Formats: sequence, C-alpha cells, structure tokens
Amino acid sequence: MASFELVEPTNLQDAFALLDDEDPAVRPFGGGTALMLMMKAQLFKPVRLVSLRLLGQQFDGIALSADKSSFRIGAMTTFSQLEHSAEIATYLPVITKTMRTLANVRVRNVATIGGNLAHGDPHLDLPPVWLALGAKALIINKTGERLIPVEEIFAGYYETTLEQGDLIAELHVPVRPGWRSHYAKVTTRAEHDWPALGIAVSVLSEGGRVKGASLVLSAAVDRPTRLVAAENILRGATLDDAVLRAAGEAAVEEVHIETDNRGSAAYKKHLLRVHLGRAIQTVTGA
Amino acid sequence: MVAVTSSPNIGKSIDRLEAREKVTGRVEYVHHLRLPGMLYGKIFRSNVPHARIKSVDISAAQALEGVYQVITIDDIRKVIPHPYYGPAFHDQPILADGKVRFAGEPVAVVLATDKRIAEEAVGLITAEYEDLPGVFDEVDAMTSETLVHDELKPAATFPDLQHLKGRSGTNVALDYHLLHGDPDAGFAASDHIFEHTFRTQQVMHTPMEPFVSVADVQEGRVTLHTASQGPSFVRIEIARLLGLPENRVRVVVPHLGGGFGGKLYIKLEALVTALSMVAQRPVKISLTMEEQFYMVTRHPCTFKIKSGVTKEGKILARHCEIVWNGGAYADIGPRVTQKAGFTSAGPYDIENVSIDSYAVYTNRPPCGALRGFGAPQTAWAYERHTDMIADALGFDKIAFRRQNLLREGRPQASGTLMRDAALDQVLDHLVDRMNWDIPLDKGTGRIRRGRGIAIGFKGITAPTTSVAIVNMYGDGSCGLYIGTVDMGQGSDTVMAQIAAEVLNIDAASIRVIHPDTDVTPYDMGTLGSRSTFHMGTAVRLAAEEAKAKIAALAVELGMPEGSNVPLAELLRRKYGMQAGNIIGTGSFIPAYEKPDTKTGQSTKATPFWGVGAAGAEVEIDTETGHITVTKLVNVADVGTAINPKMVQQQLSGAGIMQLGFTLTENMVFRDGQLTNGSLADYKIPNLLDMPREFINEYVESRQKDGPFGAKGAGESTTIALSPAIGNAVADAIGIHLTDLPITPESIFRALQEANGTPLAGD
Repeated sequence: MASFELVEPTNLQDAFALLDDEDPAVRPFGGGTALMLMMKAQLFKPVRLVSLRLLGQQFDGIALSADKSSFRIGAMTTFSQLEHSAEIATYLPVITKTMRTLANVRVRNVATIGGNLAHGDPHLDLPPVWLALGAKALIINKTGERLIPVEEIFAGYYETTLEQGDLIAELHVPVRPGWRSHYAKVTTRAEHDWPALGIAVSVLSEGGRVKGASLVLSAAVDRPTRLVAAENILRGATLDDAVLRAAGEAAVEEVHIETDNRGSAAYKKHLLRVHLGRAIQTVTGA
Repeated sequence: MVAVTSSPNIGKSIDRLEAREKVTGRVEYVHHLRLPGMLYGKIFRSNVPHARIKSVDISAAQALEGVYQVITIDDIRKVIPHPYYGPAFHDQPILADGKVRFAGEPVAVVLATDKRIAEEAVGLITAEYEDLPGVFDEVDAMTSETLVHDELKPAATFPDLQHLKGRSGTNVALDYHLLHGDPDAGFAASDHIFEHTFRTQQVMHTPMEPFVSVADVQEGRVTLHTASQGPSFVRIEIARLLGLPENRVRVVVPHLGGGFGGKLYIKLEALVTALSMVAQRPVKISLTMEEQFYMVTRHPCTFKIKSGVTKEGKILARHCEIVWNGGAYADIGPRVTQKAGFTSAGPYDIENVSIDSYAVYTNRPPCGALRGFGAPQTAWAYERHTDMIADALGFDKIAFRRQNLLREGRPQASGTLMRDAALDQVLDHLVDRMNWDIPLDKGTGRIRRGRGIAIGFKGITAPTTSVAIVNMYGDGSCGLYIGTVDMGQGSDTVMAQIAAEVLNIDAASIRVIHPDTDVTPYDMGTLGSRSTFHMGTAVRLAAEEAKAKIAALAVELGMPEGSNVPLAELLRRKYGMQAGNIIGTGSFIPAYEKPDTKTGQSTKATPFWGVGAAGAEVEIDTETGHITVTKLVNVADVGTAINPKMVQQQLSGAGIMQLGFTLTENMVFRDGQLTNGSLADYKIPNLLDMPREFINEYVESRQKDGPFGAKGAGESTTIALSPAIGNAVADAIGIHLTDLPITPESIFRALQEANGTPLAGD
C-alpha cells in the first residue's frame, strides 16, 4: 500500500473542491470497510481519500417523518446505528433482522449505508432490502441534487451510475402500512458466508390475495435486480403452491445467473425457485 | 473418564504456562521481530501452472525508489550453487529455476526497507512464459506424458524414506506396496466382492499465524528466527544447502500461532537465508493469509478399495489402491503415501491384504503433512466402504465392525502386532454417547435425519528421536530445554508436568526453554502426534537422570539415605555459595524395523497406534440439499491424559478442523488456477457451524511404554470424522456419496440423480 492523502472536510463546499478531480484515484469514503480491503489487495491505489465523516447534518441521523410515513437516513449512518434504532425496529423490522447475519460487529460499527451502496458489490445484503422497501437515494454534487430509486444507482458488477463528484447524501425510505418484508441470505458453504443468493421481498397481502409485491434478487446476479416478471405473477393472485412455483419459474427465466464457487448456475436457479417461495410464505403466512 | 491418580501432576488440568502472556498480548511471535537493518521481502509469483520461463523483467521494480534489490534464481545461484531443497526429494528450487510448476510459485523477490514499497515493486515485475501442457488430476498424472519433473532427486535424509528412488520418466515420486497373506485366495473364498472409489479434495492448514521467517547471515553464520515446527530439521537442511557445519546455523523458534503440519521441514527458511546471503542484511518474509495457499496444502487422493466378504460378515481380503496428488514438489508427500498407505485397509483383522500407494507430481501447489499424515483421507474411503458393504448385505453397522475389528496381539496388515490400541473401548464408548440403541426419528417430509459412525487408526512416523535436557539451577529451580514447538497444542505445559512428576516439584514453576538450536538439543519435529510420546519420554529420562544425580550429590555430601535436604542447600554446601547445576539428559528413539520394500512387512512399523472414532447426526433439507450436523461425538484413545483439559481441546480442535475438511473447505482449481484463494471464498467453519451437541471424550487406557502411560492426541479426532458424517448422510437420504467435500449442492445433485431428474451441469 503506497502512501496517499486522507482529508476530512467539514463542509460540502470543501468536499466538492477536494473531489473535483478527474483522477479515479481520488475517492470519497464512508466507513472504509470495503475500500480498505481493495487497497490491501492492491486493487485500488488511492491518491486522495475524502472522508465524509465530518460533513454532519444532512449525512447523519435517522429521522422518522412527523406523519410516520417515511424515514430520512443520512448516508454516513453506520450499520450499528440502524441496528440499534428503536424506530427502525418498529417500522422497518426487516432491517434490524438483516443486521444479524450481516458481516460482524466490528464492520457494522464503521460501515455506512452510503458507502455500502456506492461500492456496487452485488453480494452485499442491504442493497436488495432497500430496493424491496422502495427506498430512494438523494445524490448531490456541486451543481445540484437528484432523488433516484436506489435501484438506479447500480449499473453492473461493481459499477454504479454515480459520477466523479457525486455523493450519496441520504436515503428516503417509505413506511408502507400493511407491507411485510423479509430478507433471505442463502449461503451454501459455511453458515456465515457471502450469500449465494440474497432474496429480499416486500409484500402487501390481504386474505391470501397479493395486492402489492416487490421482489429482489442479489448476489447471484451482477447487481441487485427486481424480479418484475415474478412480481407480475403475484400481483392480484391468491397465493397457493402453483402461484409460488410459477413466480419461481418466472424469476429464474428473467435473470441471468452464472456459476461461481458458491454454486453452479443450475443449482442457484433451483435455490432461487425454492427460497423465493419460502420468503413469500414467510411474509404472507401462506 | 479421568484416570484416578494420586499424582500431583499427571492427570491434572493445570493451566497453560503461557496463558497469561498470551491473553495479555505479550507472548513472543516471529511476526513481532525486527532486526536492525532488516529488509522486507515480497514474492513475485507465477500466474501460469506449467511453463518455461522465457524472461523476467525486473527493471521497473529495481528502478522504484526505495527498492534495495530484486532477486531471481540467478542471484541465488551465486551464493548457493545447488539451490534445491526438500525433506524427501531435493526437488524444490529456492526460486523458480527456468521453469514454473504451479500457478503461485515464487519467481522473484523484491527487497526493500519498507514492505509497502516492496509490495508495490512486485506489481511492476513482468515475466514471459512459454506454456507447457499441465497435469492436475492425480489419476491422469499416473499415465500422463506431461512430466512435472524431468529428473527425480531423492534426498535420503530420513531413514524411513531412504529407499526412495522415484520412477524416472513418470510423475511417480514414490510407490509403496504392502502384501499380507494371499489376497487372490481370499477374494476367491469370499461370497461377496465390493469395490468402490473415493475421492478427497485439496485443503490447506490455515494457521492463524501465516508463515514468517527472518534470516540474518553474517560472518559465515546463519541465524534464523522462524515459525517452524521442526527447528532441528531446518538447521540440518540449511547447513546442507550452505555447506556449513550444524554449529554455524542457529534456528530460533518462539511460540507459533498454529502449524498443523504446514510449518514442517523447509518452508520460507531456505528463501530468506539465500536472500540474506545475497543482500548481506537481515531479511524477513511474512506471507499474507492469501499466499499460504501456495506454500503447502493437504493431498487430494483417489482411493480404489476392494473387499471380499463372507456371507457371515467376515472380511477375508482387501485391496487398496491409492493415488496421492502431491502437487509440484514432493515435500513430505512420500511419507504421507507410506504412512497412510500402511493403515489404509482400516482397523480390521483381515488376513489377506494388498496395498499399492502412489505419490504423484502434478502442477498444483505442493502438498505435505496435515494433521493425520493422510489417515483422514484413507479413513474416508475405508469407513464409507464399511457402511456400503453393511448396507448391501443388511448387516448391523456396529456388529459388522465389532466382528472384524483388530484386537490386542493380532497382526495388523504390516505384520506389526496391535498393542495398547483401545479400538473396542473407543467404539463401545461412541455407541453409548450416540445413544445408538434408541432409534433416530428420521423424518418423513422435507427434512430427513440420519446418523453414522466411523472408526479409524494411524501409525506414527518412525523411527524418530527426541532429546531433552533438565537443568536444575543453583537455587533449585528448573529449566527444561526441548526442541518441541508449542504451537498452541500445550506441549510446554505437558512436558513441564512430566518433568515435575519425576522431580516432585510444581509444574508451573518450571521454565520451558523454547527451541533454539544453539541451546536446545535435537528433536525430529513437532509432528504426527509424536511429541508427548517421544519427547515426553526423553523429558522423563532427563528428569530421572537429574534426580539420580541429586541423590548421588546427597550421598557425596554425607546425607543419610532418603534425606530430603533441598537441592539449593545441597549445591550451597557443595560449592560454598549459590552456584552450580544439576544437568540431566534424556534421549529416546523407539524400536523400529524397516518395512520390507516389496511387502511392507515389519514387526515394528509404528511406536504406537493412534485411535479415534466419530459419530454424527445430520439433518438434510431435501428440497435444497442443505445439511446441518446436529450432533458430533469424537472419542479417542490417548492413553493416559496427562492434562485432561488440553486433551479435550486437542480433540475438539481437531474435530472442528476436520468438520471444515468434510463440509466447507475446498481449494477449487480451474485449468490449474486456484479460483478461491482467500478466506472470503475458502470457508473454514466458524462458531455458527458448530453442532448443537458436540461431545469430545477419551476412554480409559494406557500406552504401557509411553510416559506415565500417555500417547499422542493431536490427530486422533481427524481420522474418522468425515466418514461418520458421510455415513450419516447416507442414512438420511439413502444415497452414498463418495467425494469430499459434502456440500448442499453435491447432496442435492445426488438426490436429483436418484430421482431420475439430474440437475444440469452448469
């Protein structure tokens, strides 16, 4: 690891000035948990790292709106802050539960939700959950800001749509009454492992009939991906084994899964069929 | 369970002598060591598995500011004319010499005062290769025209490997044969013949402390500080390479953060010595966790086993053919081939046995000893085979084993008689702890349950020597000088307990002097469950000699017979002040008879027998193949447990390690390239993978010629664990898996195959 500059600007103006460089070796960083591994492996050799730690205000905090319809979560919020938030546990319990199998205490204490999204690693556990919850990200740069669905951050395997100088500032997460969510981390080797598949589901159902569904697959694909065809099968359907099977088949058909050390493509497709159905059953009680 | 004893030291779970130092972070490791003027080396490795080296361009690395020197084999040859090393064959070049034989082989080293600069410079080195066809599978390597080595170079260092010649013009480094009785006649007289083929995968030792060595060469002397399990061998081999007498080479070993057989023989030591000679500065190399995959690993093997059985369940004949994938360099593979070979027919009384065991070279990272010297790989085959026979013939699995088990005084396949091997007791105890008499609810729906047991044994490397010195100082306190390396197994404590028992002092008061070949005497190595038995005996003898000398001194000073005047007082009277020493030495080598080269027969093939049995209960989700080991029982025969708590830790530690080798650990290769060379992708088990019920126990037994009845315990629970799980899986789903590791996907594929709906290849 060669030496580099580490700066900690205290306001946005300074941050943008420090990031205003064409050099991809100038990067913002949140907790640094992913970046440090890439630096140790010499995959990333920074010239300058711009810490967002001291930007304050907009980048910090978990705030539930007065009408309790949505959360605003600063991008520098750590996983353990999310994990231990009573309001998150009440209104978005899927987040609290996901934390139990996500990395380890040391990582959760420093990793941030903004950095986690900007990393673009398809094996991460939280991005598919944000997608299933319908979260949006506020991206700011020195000329303005834009609010986009989290899904639109991802462009491919470790690739994002973020431009040099863009910062993820906050997440907006709706609280949708009646919707129930679940994240299934499917590992195929040791119990604690990178997922072979990450399956996040969020479903609104009434008396076995599905009124709304967002289904997301990660890890087995190059980016967290909405399973649109499977959602279409569920929407309006009354849940039974046949519907779940059809949704599983549709999911397998609509994504491209490749063989890796966590399983062959054929096996992971099979796991998708089984675990998507189980995840839906978990939230609908069907 | 614990032998009742009135002894103040034996059979007592005293705390580890170094416990306080370890938990406060003060214990000494090579990783902490910095010498004045020391350079750090970083290794540039080949990215192709088999190729001639056309050129290595070091110019950009050499030009980087802060780089001291970039070194290739050409530089090393100037200081070491024949830069090849190894315990069985002198086949491994200190750096690649004209050819690379596995992807990951060291080709050049950058030296710099700053390790980050060395690391950066390695990224600037380029090499051009002319690719050669590679051979990766052990069975292919037996007949392949691709030769990993054009010339075979036996080392002749160890007596048990002196007959090594290798087969020139092939990849076979060693073939071992055993013939006992008349197998043809035995098969002819059998009612049923069974033949199965089993495979095991490549795995690695994964010590928490990666390999690290420091060499300091000056004035015709070499000092090595190294994380080694075998300082005496390191000294011999470095002295040979440099043409120096042994007293010019000093090898110092502090505590190790694990070894498991990986840190044996020569690893980084030859390289750092050569680098220090070239640079004339101390040189340190610390491998990363990821680099460990390219240092040494465990042999994959293919094992074809054939048995002839009578309709009453007596095994009449057995043939074993094992091919061991040794990787690019032999390391100690020939000993694995031989030691695991001779017990590969299992702990059964079979009159007619033939064994052919082959070590072959391939273009994979080298393989060596790993906690069991091949015994776990062979037990995977012979104990799965036992259950498959029992299933086919409808025999009770316990009764079938009991019917055929080797008993006290009976000849094992090598002709060596079984002595002090508590096979029956271990099996009985296991059956009890598994509650075998109570039927298991196997389930009828998606979740199926099963249980299985297995029993195995191993021979111990022979003949090997240990020497110990007990030094009583002027105030009567005691220093114990031994070459045994405490790498976490607790040998310091156990050796102190043995000395304390003889000398009638407090074990915790003894100072154990760690290996330093300038100070501590010879020991063959901390390996193969040998330390408690061999070094333990040497320590006992040394302590007895010291005790006799103290008694003689008392007589000399005119004390009445049996007087208990403290040693400090005796020495004060003798020398007129606090001065002098009482030195006792002990040297131990067990009896050994070299096996016949053609038949493997020997009346004394092993100093003792290692015995272990395991039982497992598993739960399988038949929709996904997901497997959960819900209960695991390990039972071993360790003779007298000198320190019961540490024995238990050995048993459970070895069990957890073998659990990983059974379910999760697998070095995956594609075209000779390792595709999962990091701990993110090579999964060792963690706490979440522990069975809900995990029992580790030993039976009451006594190794009559061991120190206070003890024998080794470090490998006992690696032997039978994999087949116990494999047998439990078969019990749950009715399908016999033959390959390790057992993964959810391999189970699911087997289920689909059996259902007539096989899963697509990819």
